[in-house]
Amino acid sequence: MDTFSLLLDGLAVAAQPMNLLFALIGVVLGTAVGVMPGIGPALTVALLLPVSLSFGATGSMIMFAGIYYGGMYGGAISSILLNTPGETASIMTAVEGNRMARDGRGGKALAASAIGSFFGGTVATFGLALVAPFMVMVALSFGPAEYFALMVLSFMTVSAAFGGSVARGLTALFLGLAIGLVGIDKLTGQARLAFGVPELRDNISIAVIAVGLFAIGETLYIASQKFDVNEKVEAVKGSVWLTWQDLKRCIKPYLRGTILGFGFGPLPTGGAEIPTFLSYSAERKLAKGVAREEFDNGKGAIEGVAGPESANNASAAGTLIPLLTLGLPTSATAAIMLAGFQQYGLQPGPLLFTNNPDLVWGLVASLFIANFMLLILNLPFVGIWVKLLMIPRPWLYAGILTFATLGIVGAEGSVFSLILLLIFGLIGFVMRRFGYPLAPVLVGAILGPLAEEQLRRGLMINRGDWTFLFNSPIALTIYAIAIAAVLGPVIWRALAPKGANTAFAMDGD
Amino acid sequence: MASETREVGESRPPHEPGTPDFGGLAIAIGLAAMAALIWWDASSYPVRRSYAQFGPEIFPFLVAAGLAVFAVATVFLAVRRRFPPREEMTYPPVIWVAGAVLAEIAILTFGLGFILASGTLFGFAARGMGRKPLWLTVIVGILFSAVLYILFRLGLGLSLPTGPVERTLVGLFR
Repeated sequence: MDTFSLLLDGLAVAAQPMNLLFALIGVVLGTAVGVMPGIGPALTVALLLPVSLSFGATGSMIMFAGIYYGGMYGGAISSILLNTPGETASIMTAVEGNRMARDGRGGKALAASAIGSFFGGTVATFGLALVAPFMVMVALSFGPAEYFALMVLSFMTVSAAFGGSVARGLTALFLGLAIGLVGIDKLTGQARLAFGVPELRDNISIAVIAVGLFAIGETLYIASQKFDVNEKVEAVKGSVWLTWQDLKRCIKPYLRGTILGFGFGPLPTGGAEIPTFLSYSAERKLAKGVAREEFDNGKGAIEGVAGPESANNASAAGTLIPLLTLGLPTSATAAIMLAGFQQYGLQPGPLLFTNNPDLVWGLVASLFIANFMLLILNLPFVGIWVKLLMIPRPWLYAGILTFATLGIVGAEGSVFSLILLLIFGLIGFVMRRFGYPLAPVLVGAILGPLAEEQLRRGLMINRGDWTFLFNSPIALTIYAIAIAAVLGPVIWRALAPKGANTAFAMDGD
Repeated sequence: MASETREVGESRPPHEPGTPDFGGLAIAIGLAAMAALIWWDASSYPVRRSYAQFGPEIFPFLVAAGLAVFAVATVFLAVRRRFPPREEMTYPPVIWVAGAVLAEIAILTFGLGFILASGTLFGFAARGMGRKPLWLTVIVGILFSAVLYILFRLGLGLSLPTGPVERTLVGLFR
């Protein structure tokens, strides 16, 4: 069947009232957490992981994707009005966006970002629908050697691209791999690292790891810092409607941003940081006339908001390509979404497209709907989101902690899982304090057991001969990309201007 | 410790050895201990013969070796002070928040139910983040948790630990 008819079928799935409701819940939650600095889509999806078990696979994946997209929209609001990016993906938006807000053009900045997010998200979702079937065809020919190579690629790139140092990224990865070992070995039934504790014999749930590292760890980290009371929320000034003149200035940045975002999204470079940065610097370089003057005099140029905002939403769509077709997460949120699939016994990859076309195409179609919902939520109702920034921190973080433990207690049903949760929270806290990225831990814990299975299956077919790993040209190509991906960020950091480096010290959502 | 970090970091280039970062060294020790534990555990598996020639121990050995390598790398990071500068730590809020989770664990172990446990967690956490007095935050937490209990237990059918409070509450709804 061709993509178009599959997409129409998907639209029928996505338009079911329950799924529309899940999409709406997703985008509302996503925007809300996107607005609030410190909590992002990765944490939110992790929190909902245990609770979502009663929603069904399609419903919860639609909701998770809505949260991912919504987070990208919402992040712009706090960037522009507060000069504190809600997400790492919105760091570049804060530069020109906040200047525009101080110049009394906050409304225009918000509109440019909402329309840009819509444009980037929608175009890139089309791209996703077109590219995914080809990826599936390629992936169908993969054997254990290629899959193992892909996982190595994922390990390398996730560790190298997130966080400030390759060594810390890889340390985090190995910590994740170690956590993934705990439990009964699938192939032989051997209990590993269980130490006679019955709860440890059946693997540590990904929800406990994710919620512990992100929710508990983040709360502890925020608690350890002195509260900065000097944050100033700019009031929304000026019309949120763009004139034809404004829109004309935005069109080219939208196009360039979308191409950059969609191009970098599927690459395992760790989310939206690189494309948004490239988009911003491209707009700055290409600016002429009024825009040139606004960039140079610090008044805030609309192009600097339009480009990065379309880039970050386009990258969110791009990220879904390797996630759905190969089962490879390239951002923290994607890694937790992968855990969401696994929770339903589904393994993303080419087989998902043949076995569960309803789910895959329903999810893709729902992304279009989610984008429309977000455009409406973000243009006329922007004032409501700003109010979220006023929630006092004690109540906010106490609430997050309550939700975190509610989900774990409800899904796992044991006090032991709460003890594990606290341990992972403390690990996450120490890691945040010492500048370790968290995403590689998750990717290691999720993909580690899968990589081990491929490795041992390959060894079994080849009677213990390790060389099978390096006999396939596809696998060798993938290893080459993996090496380039590790060296790439090192070179990138050396070349990038000083300010850009801070973006890499944070976690990628 | 943190103020020391900044002085050394600023006045000297990163290559020159100064006082090592003791926090970083502790992490290195933790990683090494973990590697040893995994190695020891994997060595205890019974030997099996199979076509693969490698059993369940092969991946743990690889992981343990990797952890050991990065334990050594971490020692270098710590000695050369390559960790990003840390803000000075304010302990009381961290202890309150960690204590909040411990309190929930304790209350659940005594079988007092979700609402009291979760309410105490909420109260301790809010207190830790600077909201006083404690009795107020705990009461707010218990009310909030009661609403969540009704929503998730009766609405979504999530099974949450039941104690005396929950039994009374469910009784009211019947």
